[in-house]
Amino acid sequence: MRLALAVASIIVFVVHVVVFYDQFFHRWERHQTAYFEQARTQATNDAEAEELARRGPQIEQIIVTQFGESQVDRCVTCHIAVDDPRFTEHFHPLKTHPYSESLGDLQVEGRWERRHKFSDFGCTICHDGQGRGLEEHYSHGDDHYWPMPLLGYVVHENWNENYKDKLLGTDYMQVKCAQCHTDEGFAGTPHVSRGRELFFKKSCYGCHRIEGLSESTLGPDLTEIGKEFSLEYLWESIDEPRANLATSFMPKFNMTDDEVKSLVIFLKSRRGKNYTETQLDLYRARLEVGDEQDVAEGDAALAEAEDPVAVGERLISERACTACHKLDSVDGKVAPDLSFEGLVRSNDWLMQHFINPRTVVSDSIMPTFRWDHSDFEAMTAYLESRTEAPQVADAAASYREFCARCHGEQGAGDGPIMLYLDPAPRDLTKASFMNSKPMERFKESIRYGVAGTSMPPWEKVLDEQQIDDLLEYVFATFVDQPRRELRERSIPENNPVAMGPESVARGESTYLLRCTGCHGLKADGKGPNSPDIVPRPRNLRNSHFINSVSDRRLLESILYGVQGTAMPPWIDYGLSQNDVGDLLNYIRSLNKGRE
Amino acid sequence: MKEATQPKTIWGTIAELPNNVWKSIFRNPLPSSERGRSATMFTNFFLHLHPVRVHRHTLKATYTLGLGLISLFLFLLLALSGILLLFYYVPSTAQAYDRMLDLRGTVAFGTVLRNMHRWSAHGMVAVVFLHMCRVFFTGAYKKPREFNWVVGVILLLLTLFGSFTGYLLPWDQLAFWAITVGAEIAAYAPILGSEVQFLLLGDYSVGQEALLRFYVLHVVVLPLLITLFVAIHFWRIRKDGGLARPEQPDTVVETPMTLTGGEPRGAFGLMGFVRKPFTKVGNVPGNTVYSWPDLLTAEIFVLVLTIAAILVISISFDAPLEEPVNVMHPPNPAKAPWYFLGLQEMVSYSAFWGGVGIPTLEVLLLLMIPYLDRRPGGEGIWFSKQRLLANTLFMTFVVINIILIIIGTFFRGPNWALVSPF
Repeated sequence: MRLALAVASIIVFVVHVVVFYDQFFHRWERHQTAYFEQARTQATNDAEAEELARRGPQIEQIIVTQFGESQVDRCVTCHIAVDDPRFTEHFHPLKTHPYSESLGDLQVEGRWERRHKFSDFGCTICHDGQGRGLEEHYSHGDDHYWPMPLLGYVVHENWNENYKDKLLGTDYMQVKCAQCHTDEGFAGTPHVSRGRELFFKKSCYGCHRIEGLSESTLGPDLTEIGKEFSLEYLWESIDEPRANLATSFMPKFNMTDDEVKSLVIFLKSRRGKNYTETQLDLYRARLEVGDEQDVAEGDAALAEAEDPVAVGERLISERACTACHKLDSVDGKVAPDLSFEGLVRSNDWLMQHFINPRTVVSDSIMPTFRWDHSDFEAMTAYLESRTEAPQVADAAASYREFCARCHGEQGAGDGPIMLYLDPAPRDLTKASFMNSKPMERFKESIRYGVAGTSMPPWEKVLDEQQIDDLLEYVFATFVDQPRRELRERSIPENNPVAMGPESVARGESTYLLRCTGCHGLKADGKGPNSPDIVPRPRNLRNSHFINSVSDRRLLESILYGVQGTAMPPWIDYGLSQNDVGDLLNYIRSLNKGRE
Repeated sequence: MKEATQPKTIWGTIAELPNNVWKSIFRNPLPSSERGRSATMFTNFFLHLHPVRVHRHTLKATYTLGLGLISLFLFLLLALSGILLLFYYVPSTAQAYDRMLDLRGTVAFGTVLRNMHRWSAHGMVAVVFLHMCRVFFTGAYKKPREFNWVVGVILLLLTLFGSFTGYLLPWDQLAFWAITVGAEIAAYAPILGSEVQFLLLGDYSVGQEALLRFYVLHVVVLPLLITLFVAIHFWRIRKDGGLARPEQPDTVVETPMTLTGGEPRGAFGLMGFVRKPFTKVGNVPGNTVYSWPDLLTAEIFVLVLTIAAILVISISFDAPLEEPVNVMHPPNPAKAPWYFLGLQEMVSYSAFWGGVGIPTLEVLLLLMIPYLDRRPGGEGIWFSKQRLLANTLFMTFVVINIILIIIGTFFRGPNWALVSPF
């Protein structure tokens, strides 16, 4: 035991020696000693020599308090010669910070004078990195966890190999210039300006919010993105949106490296508050964001000179519509096929949908783009000009061509873009539903589409015979139960209860009692039970849909339920035809504009 | 008594001053006689917790493995390093992380201090748990030591909570999300769950209020409680007759008192045994040795070993410090501290049963063990054959928990999906 005790004691002693050695013989001390030795030999006058003799190794720091939160930069502890012009030819860390006119430095009588004095600005305000550290690894931000590594010449050791090479270079310094030089056309920050342009040109603003620039909430808020993520992370996320977040549905935009670089620099410069904006500036920007500048200025003028169809084609490809939509062979795999959109949809519908998609499809996730009206007209003109219906050999082929993108290869309502559609495409394999509705209803849905949803009217593409064949194919292939005879029910064609405030009030109280669990208090189909229900409860405020449906169909759905869904037959729960009539009036009262 | 009456010269007083001061502090000279050894243990404030004589069985390293002592020394290391860290810490969301950077970069010995505190904390959780296993497998909780087992379980819980509250203080991503996950587990409790969570966090999510609460708990409340319960724990060890040992009739050795001249041989019974077994003056139980020096050497040995281990670990591995808190960007997966990963793993199967039901049952069962297992026998022996059933059950409990923690730590990836760490 004595031996073990002795060994343990020696270990304790040795560790203490190591710790104390570390504590009292820093690397920065060696740098400073070297600096003072050389500086003393180069001292030109007595005062300077005296000054240098007086100084000894110590932790040097710059505390910057004039730009918001105070900031502590101890970089000059190692980089002690940054402001000493005699060290221009030395190696780091004992090197003079370069003087340059592009930084605003001025030469006065042969001596450089700095525009941005280090005593005023510190270091990290331009360079990023971690000002408090004294070890190279940590203060340069090589540490994997530090979100703001030195910009410019140092990159993470452990960065992704694919992006390492692309992230070198002083261009990234513009990120920090833009913290103070916020004016859009500032000559020193061309990448930031270009990135800002791309943010609008590539429709990023359609999904993402940046305070003062855009207001969309579909994607993550990018207001403080530059503070939170490294250059590499941003690059990676634009390059392959699912690289960092497996559930992301952001489209791949296939931009060039140069474009991504500008965009990354712009994004990295968004850090919420910057050094020049006051709270009042921010507030003003927030107020003005609604009447945003015309993003694609100049295109409108072009449209007059050029053929609108050609302009529309150019706009659609330039503005990355195919990042989500499919057009001919390009497919973003998020949104519906545009190849024959002009053929199936009317001119008005397209225009309305461009201006605000939610006026025609209530729960669409498509962003509202703030483009010029004439741009929308050109794009509509282009889509309308594509009048050629694709030739399909048989019903199976037309199913694959027109239906499978939403309803899925196997008809289970699980096509590739199904996740992004609301309401979701019908599951055609569900026999209980398919066999409970009359054939005519399916035909109508195909022929005229389903209003307020992504199901378009196919009458201009498919003739009656083709629709019949298609339905036959669907029933034969997907519905694996023979069709039964439908039970005749005596349901009035029109609502038996007259519309009026009293009836609506009675309907509302029934609604609150019976329906909110699934359809929600707001009748938007998002009640507390809705996440567990497939298909999701209907949004009863989807006016286009509700207004397009007859009284008879709604009465039947409520009274006798919808087979194959969670909607129960309310007649079994004691609702009379009049109660349902009141309900119907209540639902109608939520949706205006029915002829 | 003759000297007292003789007045001294002032020079004599000054010459004797150091000696007098020394003697006034330490009543006994370094003991060389048996009487001296007894008296030293009995009269010294720091030593009087020890008995004058201890049983040889207690000193067997293979019996206790020194786990209780290691826990104590880790606690003392934590207190010491914690107090030094306190000088640099500010419990504010705006400053806490910067203070961590200062500790790592600029403060003298900051990195080592933080590392020691961090690794000692992890070590203490593990060692306290192992200590509990030791006590169970040696049957040391049996009558009359039932209550001390209960105190021990309370100390385990306090240790866990102390470590948990400390986890938040660096205010980095690791801290923030670990505590968020931990607090969510608390919210699964029925009826009072969300209230408990609110009480703990002072808010609906982890923020400034939570930081302040955890800080106060971590630096004031929990250390005080642990100190109190440790005192009770040690007091009970003495009062319950020392550490548990096998029932063996110890022979009583007669040590005749010599009344004339020189030191009486043998111990002074009353000094040796405050409660039991009562020993006649002049008789000493066999198989015991003087605490001074045998017990003290063993304790110092464990102390030096513990310090050496913690120091070596602290200069080899840096305590983690991740990104500054980013409320909008949880890591995937967000994991609780490792000792709660068994819970989190169970929560992934059933929120209520994994997070609240089973842990509560486990703690209740742990507390009840000495009252459920009333059969005497097997005390003081590792894995006694008489206790086969009890040991098997407890071993199952330990192994299941360790396996759950290992799965939660190494085999869970993004979205809590099973991944292979290799």
